[in-house]
Amino acid sequence: MDALAGLKVLDLTSHIAAPYCTKLLADLGARVIKVERPGGDSSRRLGPFLGDIPGPERSATFQFLNTNKESLGLDLATTDGREVALRLAKSCDLVVVGLAPAQAASLGLTYEDLRARTEAPVLEITNFGSSGPYRDYKLSDTVLFAMGGEMYSHGTLDRAPLKLGGTAALLQSGAMGAVAAMGAVHARELHGVGQRVELSLFATQINSIDRRSAAILAFRFSGRVQQRPVAATSGIVGGIYPTADGYVEVTASFGNYWQRFVEMVDDDALRDPKWLDPATALDPAAKEEADGIVYPWMLSRTKHEVWAEARRAHAMVAPLFTASDIVQDPVFRERGLWLDVEHQALGTFPMLGRPYVLEKTPWRLRQPAPTLGQHTDALLAEAGYGADEIAALRRSAVAA
Amino acid sequence: MSANLPLEGVRICDFTAVWAGQSATMYLADMGAECIKVENPFIWNPMTRAASPRINAAMASVLPPWIAGHPNGDPGPRPWTNSPAFIQVLRNKKSFTVDSRRPEGLAIVKSLIRISDIVAENLAFGTLEKLGLDDDAIRRERPDAVILHMPAFGRSGAYVEGRGYGAHIDSVSGSTLLRGYADTAPGDNVQIFAGDFWGGVHGAFAVMAALRHRRLTGEGQVIELAQVESTAQMFPQAALDAAWNGRDAVSVGNRSIEGFVPNGAFRCHGTDRWIAITCRTDAEWVALITAMGRPAWALRAELETATGRAAAESEIEERLEEWTASHDLYSLFHQLQAAGVTAGPVMTAQDAVEDPQLRQSGAWTSLLATADYPETEFGAPPYRFENSDVGIRTPPALFGEHNEYVYLDLLGLSDDEYQRLEADGHIATAFDPDVVARA
Repeated sequence: MDALAGLKVLDLTSHIAAPYCTKLLADLGARVIKVERPGGDSSRRLGPFLGDIPGPERSATFQFLNTNKESLGLDLATTDGREVALRLAKSCDLVVVGLAPAQAASLGLTYEDLRARTEAPVLEITNFGSSGPYRDYKLSDTVLFAMGGEMYSHGTLDRAPLKLGGTAALLQSGAMGAVAAMGAVHARELHGVGQRVELSLFATQINSIDRRSAAILAFRFSGRVQQRPVAATSGIVGGIYPTADGYVEVTASFGNYWQRFVEMVDDDALRDPKWLDPATALDPAAKEEADGIVYPWMLSRTKHEVWAEARRAHAMVAPLFTASDIVQDPVFRERGLWLDVEHQALGTFPMLGRPYVLEKTPWRLRQPAPTLGQHTDALLAEAGYGADEIAALRRSAVAA
Repeated sequence: MSANLPLEGVRICDFTAVWAGQSATMYLADMGAECIKVENPFIWNPMTRAASPRINAAMASVLPPWIAGHPNGDPGPRPWTNSPAFIQVLRNKKSFTVDSRRPEGLAIVKSLIRISDIVAENLAFGTLEKLGLDDDAIRRERPDAVILHMPAFGRSGAYVEGRGYGAHIDSVSGSTLLRGYADTAPGDNVQIFAGDFWGGVHGAFAVMAALRHRRLTGEGQVIELAQVESTAQMFPQAALDAAWNGRDAVSVGNRSIEGFVPNGAFRCHGTDRWIAITCRTDAEWVALITAMGRPAWALRAELETATGRAAAESEIEERLEEWTASHDLYSLFHQLQAAGVTAGPVMTAQDAVEDPQLRQSGAWTSLLATADYPETEFGAPPYRFENSDVGIRTPPALFGEHNEYVYLDLLGLSDDEYQRLEADGHIATAFDPDVVARA
């Protein structure tokens, strides 16, 4: 059984952030009806592509973000297309809208428009909110992290502030949307309230627990602004060290972490009590002496060998994995992080599997990401359209 | 009128620590769950209530603000009640103390589990088990409990004995290698704890899904969220490029993996002011160069497409920064957005607290002064529910603030029993001085 069995969601979102919200719902069993614009979701054009061959069904971004969803090709800019969406909304338990406020208004798909046709909760995911001076401003992953996130203090002082890898900020904000969606679902099922829930991507980042919300409260408390450091150093021992084949991250500076680190390296010179003297931490010569022990130790081992020693000593040390490491890692594979997708057009390919293990209602892949318009006919019929009407909608390019 | 809280009637017995776990239960508490934090006066849980129980003004001044920016730079006698890094994850929660390592303490914990719906933890693997609170023991007290485990590397397989904080989770999940400058060694990468944010959000979501199943079927379950496996999904493009095409993504600095050129942070006039700019379409490029006054270098036909711009990306970045460097950040931000270019300031904490959009959209909630911090504003949950009171309803829980509520009201102990447990040190509103000295 699926945790979100019986939950029907109308998904008027596109690109990366909000589709990740509905992916989380779909992957735990919700029926997610993804409305795709003519030509398909813009994420179908984002790489990387399977076999490096571009194509709307071959995008890794799209395949990842849309597992377990159903695709309805629909032109919302037409009167008939809008009507299809509103009819579907009536039968859904949740509507997730990812339209810009001006776009929702011009399409006639505002909260009020939807509320007139459905009692379901409506989650609106916008860049900056439905009002305010930035209402109509645009976002990218980088602009989102720059404004909302803690980009200002990420990187080094002499260079530009740095974003996170990939499209991390968009995906983080989308995940926050899934929490909001579940709040709306619980409130509906528990109290019978269908309501408007608004989530701005900007606000999710301002609240992020990656250092951002702490830096903001610290400023309010102390007046200190978190700067980028001059260099990524961290005490006598700490930070990122090179190994024979890569890198490891080391925390050894406080609590009993130093002791565990010393046990890991197992060099008597590090057992000298002088290392525990706070004054030593400020002595460049001591840092040089420690480096003289730690660097050769690290460089004579692979990152996996270092990690094995660290686990033995419970030291706070772990390797920097590449994407290939994540793909090939035997422990991740054995535990089930990866699975194979059987796709009707593409054959078999690997896919990231569950982000969590739910004992009784497991994450599962019921179907791969849909081909464009794969479920159009079935969904139109479900919305009450007869065969002739469906044919007419297709002829007029309202549906595809 | 009912507050229509989404998780009304749900109680959490909360053993979480640090950020990922404590933020997971914070999101649930925001939604209305009664979250009861189990604290022990004889154990200092690192990185859970403050950087150190003994942090003083001098130490705080040499540590980074995010971890040590206590009120007016002075942590005072109770740093665990005014740490900027940790009090926010204590909002909407309750705190009670018990030494769960002693039999009578364990019995108290078990009686709390008996009336809880969720047990949440992200402690080092085996910590709860050593206390005698493995999954079976929890379910003996509460057969339909939803149990959330958030281990760093998993509860099975070769990595179970691995230990880590956010930095190590970012490392193993691939985040650290993907977020440096393109031209410097990974050793220069600065820490940021993207995986803590990610893990907390996913933990809360998974619990909310399991609670729905439980409400419909009566069945609880165990959730295992291995933080590295979850956080690896923050980089699906890199993971799938490796899995599908055998290519290992490298850090691209501030460039876009979505094919947007230019994309980055560019210096503005003033001290350390930067604007992020993305041309998401060719039309945005035209709008950008129009805003720049159509300089000759930008008018080359090959720059009209993203592919053409990608071939000249370094040159575009240099030229663009020559232009932005003479402009005021906020003027340029509004000018570019009005012209249809995706752009925004790299906001300091000060920029954020002064931002008109955040203020107008209710991003902050006033927090009354306590003995340990002055009146201030606090980040509110990032969503606005029209008919549910999903917001900051109670301030960050003080250490042991809800002892009487938990022991007397919830667990129904007598005043005599309460006084005995208090005399034995279970019930306290401060950490034991020896713990403070040793930690």
